[in-house]
Amino acid sequence: MIASPARSSYHTVVVGAGIIGLYTAYHLAHAGAGPILVLDRGFLSGGASGRNGGGVRQQWETPATIRLARESVAAYRRFGREFGYNIWFRQSGYVFVAEDEGQLARLRRVNAVVRGEGLVSRVIDAAEVLRLVPGIRPDAIIGGTYLRTDGILYPFPALWGLYEAVRALGVEVLLGAEVTGIHAPGGRVAAVETSLGRIATEHCVNAAGGWSGELSRRAGLDVPNVATRHEILATEPLKPFLDPMVVRVSDGLYFSQTMRGEVVGGIAPSTTLATRLGMGSSLDFLARMSRGLVGLFPQFRSLRVLRAWSGYYDDTPDGFPVIGTDARLPGFVHANGFGGHGFMLAPASAQRVARAVLGEPSDLDPHLFGPQRFSEPGRALPTERLQLG
Amino acid sequence: MSGMPSASSPEPPRVPHVGSPPRKGRLPLLQRSIRYHRPRAPFCGVGYCTNCLVRVDGRTNVRACQEGFDLPRMKTTANAWPSPSFDLLGIVDVVFPRGIDTLRGFRRPAAFTSLYQRVVRRLSGYDDPPSEAAQQPPPASIRRIVEVAVVGGGVSGSAAADALLRSGVGSVAVLDRDARASTMSGAEMLGRTTAVFLPPPDPAAARPFALAATNDSGQGVEVRARSVIVATGGYDASLLFSGNDRPGVLTAEGAFALSAPGPPPFNRAVVFGGGERAREVLARFPSRISAVAAPGDVNPDLTRLASEQGVPLYPRSLVLSTVGRRRVRGLTLRTRSDGPSFRLGADAIILAHRRVPHPQLFFQAGALMQWRSRAAAYFPIVSETGQTTVPGLYAVGEAAGVSDPAAAVRCAQLTATSIGQRNSSAPSSSNPHSLDLPGELEGYYRELLRQPRGSGKWIACPCEDVLLHEVEDAERRGYRGIEVIKRYTGLGTGLCQGRYCLPDAILLLSILEQRRPSEVGYITQRPPVLPTSLGALASFADSPDEKEAS
Repeated sequence: MIASPARSSYHTVVVGAGIIGLYTAYHLAHAGAGPILVLDRGFLSGGASGRNGGGVRQQWETPATIRLARESVAAYRRFGREFGYNIWFRQSGYVFVAEDEGQLARLRRVNAVVRGEGLVSRVIDAAEVLRLVPGIRPDAIIGGTYLRTDGILYPFPALWGLYEAVRALGVEVLLGAEVTGIHAPGGRVAAVETSLGRIATEHCVNAAGGWSGELSRRAGLDVPNVATRHEILATEPLKPFLDPMVVRVSDGLYFSQTMRGEVVGGIAPSTTLATRLGMGSSLDFLARMSRGLVGLFPQFRSLRVLRAWSGYYDDTPDGFPVIGTDARLPGFVHANGFGGHGFMLAPASAQRVARAVLGEPSDLDPHLFGPQRFSEPGRALPTERLQLG
Repeated sequence: MSGMPSASSPEPPRVPHVGSPPRKGRLPLLQRSIRYHRPRAPFCGVGYCTNCLVRVDGRTNVRACQEGFDLPRMKTTANAWPSPSFDLLGIVDVVFPRGIDTLRGFRRPAAFTSLYQRVVRRLSGYDDPPSEAAQQPPPASIRRIVEVAVVGGGVSGSAAADALLRSGVGSVAVLDRDARASTMSGAEMLGRTTAVFLPPPDPAAARPFALAATNDSGQGVEVRARSVIVATGGYDASLLFSGNDRPGVLTAEGAFALSAPGPPPFNRAVVFGGGERAREVLARFPSRISAVAAPGDVNPDLTRLASEQGVPLYPRSLVLSTVGRRRVRGLTLRTRSDGPSFRLGADAIILAHRRVPHPQLFFQAGALMQWRSRAAAYFPIVSETGQTTVPGLYAVGEAAGVSDPAAAVRCAQLTATSIGQRNSSAPSSSNPHSLDLPGELEGYYRELLRQPRGSGKWIACPCEDVLLHEVEDAERRGYRGIEVIKRYTGLGTGLCQGRYCLPDAILLLSILEQRRPSEVGYITQRPPVLPTSLGALASFADSPDEKEAS
């Protein structure tokens, strides 16, 4: 049973009721724009916003990303007071660990950029990694970096809080409705074609996460977004033993302990399987992830895995998200390409998306975040390569 | 599976003991629940529920029932302090009769954030991380390449394997959780082996199925097969009422498992159920059953046996609540259709009202399922030959909804013969084996939801201590469907993999949401079927020790 939209025409239709779409709708509604409709073809929390590991970090390779992340951390700190749901944002740090000098040198460079932005990250030696990650095999790492104000949160209540907040502000949210195309006579967005019929709107925000590339292409736009399947597992719940999120630079192995006590983590996907299997899980992932964890914690061999699941990263070639109006199709605003880091960058990014919808000037560098950057001729690509954890 | 511990242990243990040695004929209080530190004692007896977790040799969250209740070897989990029978944190259960709201609570003042987090983290989790000393690396995984894999070596599984070999299928492997390894008239029995993951088949491969399992030496077992017969049977489902997690509430198979050998851990139990399963319980425990209560009418066989034994019958009864804080001392019932409520004294409540199949492997493999209201559970859609909607995947016995043993054997033989002759018949939309009668449980729960709730906790998900009113609150706030309710409340995310909450929760949601259970949906069945050790899963990463059967 799917309700139909209450109106025939909207100021903005946001496609995707994930963290980016809901935050965007929230900022728009707050700014007095309206009416607003959020559409999602699945159920609330059915996409990557309900499938991520909850990491929120500010250690990035580029100052522009660090600024978005830092602003988002501030937003998550006040989330409980603003939205009425407790997201259990625990700022107990991110530890990036290196296994050799080459990796450590890379982390040192990241550390310098992060410190340059006024954050107190630091390079730590093996002894301090051991102190922060009790039980880790001492010879498994040589050192790393640590930023105490990074953290983890519980993603679901963030969605519940935003869902209820936007609805209280008059935003309509329709679940189970798919956008099949964009109606753009005269070269600008006039309506979205949906499984519920045509819905007139001046603006369409593409916040469809792993499906955003498909949606852009349905709008006739050539975009480089690629959906990559990533898997996660969770163990049975344990008493608290681990505070920070831990990320191994070499293979992207990451894990943390949630408020519920489960060890939750993943690893960079093996390329052959990343595009198969839909939302399924693979024995390949379970085996590689388990071997990784047992390699770091030999005493965890008897620890049991409770479940594993998967979701899609929405990857871009340069590792930066795509935020802003597409010049090829006025009214079509991108809010995608977050590469598995949408949750941690959402509050700040969605504010910029809302500004783009409202036609307000942006403080984001269009060469890094703009939709046009991929077609700039002869562009020397800056990249954000710290796409781990 | 062995029975209850005896009262005398060889020597006094030096480590914190799992409570005082249990009195003969009593369920031991082995642990506390995860959130509210409620006392818990064995419930299912067969390794699914979370009520007997202990620590053994540095391994955490070991189910005592799976290690023969060898209590002197077992330490209490860190979740109970100082002991499961007297846990100081049990105060949480008393202070918060309506539960703790971790979704909206603990937000103010901001200065307390880190204190709140420390407290809530301490309340969560069952035990400290494992601390076992590094042993030799575990053995490499093993791989079998066969024509047919049979999951489950019970009545139906054995009959199927037997018939397969007789009809000329060359290589058959049978996986069984309990049986010892052996060769069964030509089929290899992979004993003490639990199937944990059956991905959808790869139609391009010669053997499309890659079934992953683990055995009790911590080894990964991969079976490549052309066909898979699932004969995993069923289990006795749970029931929702106030205090439904109290020590003394047992499933029928729990009552059987915990009484073999040794004395049953009860002397005057009330059996809940009006059919064959309840009759089995009554027949097995003469003189230890004080009453039989049933959700609906009582069948003639059960009526006859009860009258022979002089056991009173209470047909058409709602179970409202248990009496007793630490253990079941009785229960409060109400006669259906707003009849009078009454109390029965009892030291156990044995749930024998319905059996449901293990649906996990079918869901994992992508087979279409059908909700059957009589059992209030999902069953695979199968043809006469047990063929599911996934080509090459078959269901036999209770897993397919055939509960009568003789019929189950005949069906299993039919399945095996059709595989041998390479006949396949597409399943019809309804299960041919039994008609879906109008569900009595739905009417039961409709009436139950209208009853006053009283002061006790109604545990909708015992593993995670999720309360009924939290599920109702989520529905009121506009969250619909089991997938969202699971994420909102945590229901179904515990160690039993949803076995003891999902069927009832789906039925309740269908009542609350006023739509069919199939529209409420099901939780995506993620691997593993049972919690599986990192060591066993890691062994799949190395090249296996492979053996191709002829």
